[in-house]
Amino acid sequence: MKFSGEFKAEQPREAVFALLTDPERFARFLPGFHSVEMKSATKALIRARVGIGKIGGTATTELSLEQADKPRRAEYTGRGKLMQGAYLMRTSFELEEDGAGARVVWQGETQLTGKILSLAGGGIKGYAEKQINKLIASLQQALAATPAPEKPAAEGWFGRILRGVASAGAAPAVVETDAVKSEALEAARANARQRVNAVLEAPRREAKPRRKEDQRLIKGKGLFVDDFSPAGLLHLGITRSPYAHARIARIDTSRAEALPGVVCALTGKEVMEQTEPFMQIGAGPPQNITDYALATDKATFSGDPVAAVVAESAAIAQDAAQLVEVEYEPLPPVLDAAEALKDQIIVHDEAGTNATFQGVYEYGAVEQAFADAAHVVKIDKLFFHRFSSTPLETSACVATWDQRDQIDLLANTIMTVPLALMAPALRVSMDQIRLRTHDIGGAFGNKINNYPYLTLACLASRKAGGAPVKWVETRAESMLAGGHGSERTYLDTEVALSAEGVITAIRSRHIDDIGAYPRYEPLGCAIWSQVLPAAYKLRNIRVDFNQVTTNKGPCAPNRGYSRLPHIWFMERVIDICGHELGIPADEMRLKNYIPEFPYETPNGCVYDSGDFPAMLAKAKALVGWDAWKEKQREARQQGRLMGLGIGTTLDSGTNNWGQARYVNPHAPFSGNSTAATVKLDLDGTVVVSLGSFPQGQGHETTTAQVVGDALGVAPDFIHVKTGFDSLNDSHTGQSGTYASQFVVSGLSAAHGAAVKLKAEMTRLACFALQAEEAELEFGVGDQGPQISVKGDPSRALNYWALANFINSNSASLPEELRDLSLNARHVYMPPFKVPDLEKKIGNLTLTYALQLHIAVVELDPDTYQTRILDYAIVDDCGKVINKMIVEGQVHGAAAHGIGAALMEDISYDEEGNAISGSFTDYAPLTIEAMPDLKCANQESPSPFTFHGAKGMGEGGGAPLHALCAALQDALHEQGIIIRTSHNSAMSLYDRFAAGEASEAKGVRVESR
Amino acid sequence: MPETMPVTITVNGETRRREVEPRMLLVEFLREELRLTGTHIGCDTSFCGACTVLLDGAPVKSCTLLAAQADGAEALTVEALEKDGELHPLQQAFSEHHGLQCGYCTPGMIMSSLALLAENPDPDAKAIRKALAGNVCRCTGYQNIIKAVQAAAGALRG
Repeated sequence: MKFSGEFKAEQPREAVFALLTDPERFARFLPGFHSVEMKSATKALIRARVGIGKIGGTATTELSLEQADKPRRAEYTGRGKLMQGAYLMRTSFELEEDGAGARVVWQGETQLTGKILSLAGGGIKGYAEKQINKLIASLQQALAATPAPEKPAAEGWFGRILRGVASAGAAPAVVETDAVKSEALEAARANARQRVNAVLEAPRREAKPRRKEDQRLIKGKGLFVDDFSPAGLLHLGITRSPYAHARIARIDTSRAEALPGVVCALTGKEVMEQTEPFMQIGAGPPQNITDYALATDKATFSGDPVAAVVAESAAIAQDAAQLVEVEYEPLPPVLDAAEALKDQIIVHDEAGTNATFQGVYEYGAVEQAFADAAHVVKIDKLFFHRFSSTPLETSACVATWDQRDQIDLLANTIMTVPLALMAPALRVSMDQIRLRTHDIGGAFGNKINNYPYLTLACLASRKAGGAPVKWVETRAESMLAGGHGSERTYLDTEVALSAEGVITAIRSRHIDDIGAYPRYEPLGCAIWSQVLPAAYKLRNIRVDFNQVTTNKGPCAPNRGYSRLPHIWFMERVIDICGHELGIPADEMRLKNYIPEFPYETPNGCVYDSGDFPAMLAKAKALVGWDAWKEKQREARQQGRLMGLGIGTTLDSGTNNWGQARYVNPHAPFSGNSTAATVKLDLDGTVVVSLGSFPQGQGHETTTAQVVGDALGVAPDFIHVKTGFDSLNDSHTGQSGTYASQFVVSGLSAAHGAAVKLKAEMTRLACFALQAEEAELEFGVGDQGPQISVKGDPSRALNYWALANFINSNSASLPEELRDLSLNARHVYMPPFKVPDLEKKIGNLTLTYALQLHIAVVELDPDTYQTRILDYAIVDDCGKVINKMIVEGQVHGAAAHGIGAALMEDISYDEEGNAISGSFTDYAPLTIEAMPDLKCANQESPSPFTFHGAKGMGEGGGAPLHALCAALQDALHEQGIIIRTSHNSAMSLYDRFAAGEASEAKGVRVESR
Repeated sequence: MPETMPVTITVNGETRRREVEPRMLLVEFLREELRLTGTHIGCDTSFCGACTVLLDGAPVKSCTLLAAQADGAEALTVEALEKDGELHPLQQAFSEHHGLQCGYCTPGMIMSSLALLAENPDPDAKAIRKALAGNVCRCTGYQNIIKAVQAAAGALRG
């Protein structure tokens, strides 16, 4: 941060020089000055109050007069530490004669490192500038012709408290001896313990948890991967490349292996010999990318794993990983999407190009629409930033490769696709891997791509003689390599509009930056087109879509995967067009919203149900739109920057895997499927196994509701197994918890299996009770769930008795009932067709949940921090199966969007080092930064699902749309265009306070 | 073998003595030595609070304290809350108000809330936000956590 300026001093140059070169006098002009202690003639220790927002403290600065070139120049440096950060300031003054006085030309520079940068949402830059301005103003005042009295070294209230001086200034501070201190401390501790115990011993009342999952989770009795510690457990540590791009010249693991407690080590060479490279999804050049569990000849991002160590404890494994010696030959990295597209630096030499996908999506009559347009809005560049939902539990597994070549893999992966990628890589059949999950501490899509590490743990177990090997990613590893949401750059966007402001066509060029390895990509190059026109009715669209690898952390699906960046683009387009044409935000939306549902998009997707105008009206009422508009007018008169923004979004759920063929016509995928089994166990318990990998969404609870409903019993009677287990045989190749689909695919499968089981139970009961089907009823009797004959309570059979016929008493059954199993498996297959690959037309998702958010924001004039003044959400996910769980998802998705929009950003320096290597730097949204939400619901049942519900877990990132629109509204009059999805205080300061030239805004309107 | 040292900590009312490496963290002592796995590790850098336990009545981040520093102290973990199979009002309120989804942050949230309610039996939303500022939840968006703590405070006041 550099600042500069000049002012006129009335006092003669000599006097100015004398003041500026006396550290003791100079120090008193520093804002928040408290005290000064001279260390030498040129060095002083200064205590000053510094603070920003609610955060503050007193900092000690070492001020040093570096240069005193009488009478022309003085230069100071100041360095200090503050709030887990450090700062270095440099100030210089050039003095010129100016009549009787002097002209003072000053320059200031501040360098900050560490946590201090993320304080106040990064608003430190505006603060620093303000402090410097204060310093200069005080100097200027002091150097006026009649010297103003210099500030005495009196402190404010804060200083007095610090020094323990009473406000009268007379009472001396109590001198605390160590003994007094420790006695007081012990008394305070005893008090605290007593107060905590009083709360702890509060009377309990009988009550039961709301969700089945809560029974264990609120007691700390959930079982996450790291909670498992089987006998003989070993631990995996990973050595990672410190370079973004480097040839691996030599690896020596001997020092690591010599460390006591180390069992063995693995390098890329060994992995290459023992495994096949992971299958690649993309057609063409990406097929040649060799992706192994460890880097082989080249590290392609900072954090790329190059070696692994197995040891008796996690600490030894970490130590040993540091002892692996790797000789790197650094190569220049490619870190920018547009640069990567030029192929001057290539990430994967074997692919010959960084491009992993290039394709044109064109629908309607784009050229004609532009020829007919009344206005054409041109937007040079928009950018969707890299961030991650960062589940609180990092990736982890326990892998055991036993003597029978059976692999037991307890992991927190979230779908079966990784299993299909791992098995061939490990040269085993899928059935040789038992994949199971238990409780998962959030995933948000990110954990789909942890399979290279699971593969590595399997290899490590085999090498360690079949012992179980645990791998738990550290947070630092997760921030570097745990799967980021990909970046998207939108270039040369042109928008055709009618005279009234109706968008008729869009053409644009998009580039996805997916980091070092494709893994789940390039599926994102098709998935965005599930929401091609977003919420709008335009029919003419051309998108030239490109994707590249770069030397940054590999990406993974992240909540709102690929659709979110596209909807954000469309939302910026409509919002910028509205502002540029002077059409109010709400009117602009109403002119352009899709008018009625079901609606077939230009690329053949069917938006199933909903009503955007009704949602907008509801959200406006909820937030008090008109009243806020009035307040905004008043605020503007006072020079305050306030804005209102609308974000309209779709959460497309239950995908058609046929879209994978857009990126690879040979991909043998289409439709979607998942399985569930519902059985009557030997003792009559209803047991449900799912193919899903829940991570907090409450699948056990909602499944018990649906299966209980089907059987006519309360959910309490239904036992839903926790987590996924491939041994349950309740999965297909597309099973998993992804793409907002459990409520549709998972519950449809469970419902289908329950209906099948019920049919078997009915046939059995007809025989056992000697009754007709129409006479039977399902319910609960004295002996638990039962089937009985209506109106005759004596003729009833409980579930145990029914189960017993099949499991222990089969000789009593007639021949025609011996096909029964009371173990019903159902595979749900949504009604999809294979899309038309030539035209890229087809229905790509089954349901579309809708969300509309309105944000009201004000920009802090000091810190450039965005304050959310009000926030309203209207959600429509069709029929609501469980209101509490739906609301929880709505809140959670809102928090992710707000965090991403204002705080969370994964960025890299010029050498490809990740800057946000810890939570402290990344600053995930905390409770203090989360606004209160006003929520309302709308229910438009889906015509395509058995219960009318729609998947809604991802949320479509509406806060990113709404907050960007609100900031746009606040700043448009200042000539600022919101071009990036991340708008931290720092970035707003850079663009706004530093004074962006209006021609640089990158938007032009051509009207005829 | 690395050097070890004796550490004695009273955990949930029970005195536990172990010989541990000086570098062992309090969270490792709880999770690895005592198998109390309700206390979780989320960030390793004191930011997320999944590892929050009470030490002598004060909430601490057990990933940033050495076990040796807790020698002689009294620690409380989430496992202390349930009594004879019955839930503590805080646990009940978190479930009742859906203040948890994946449950990974929950033990830390509950322990920080317990410390808050010991100091302030009737906290407003602002006080709750302040007390839980060091506990990150990635699932709930915090709305229901605030409701849960307020409901628990109400239940505790009777």
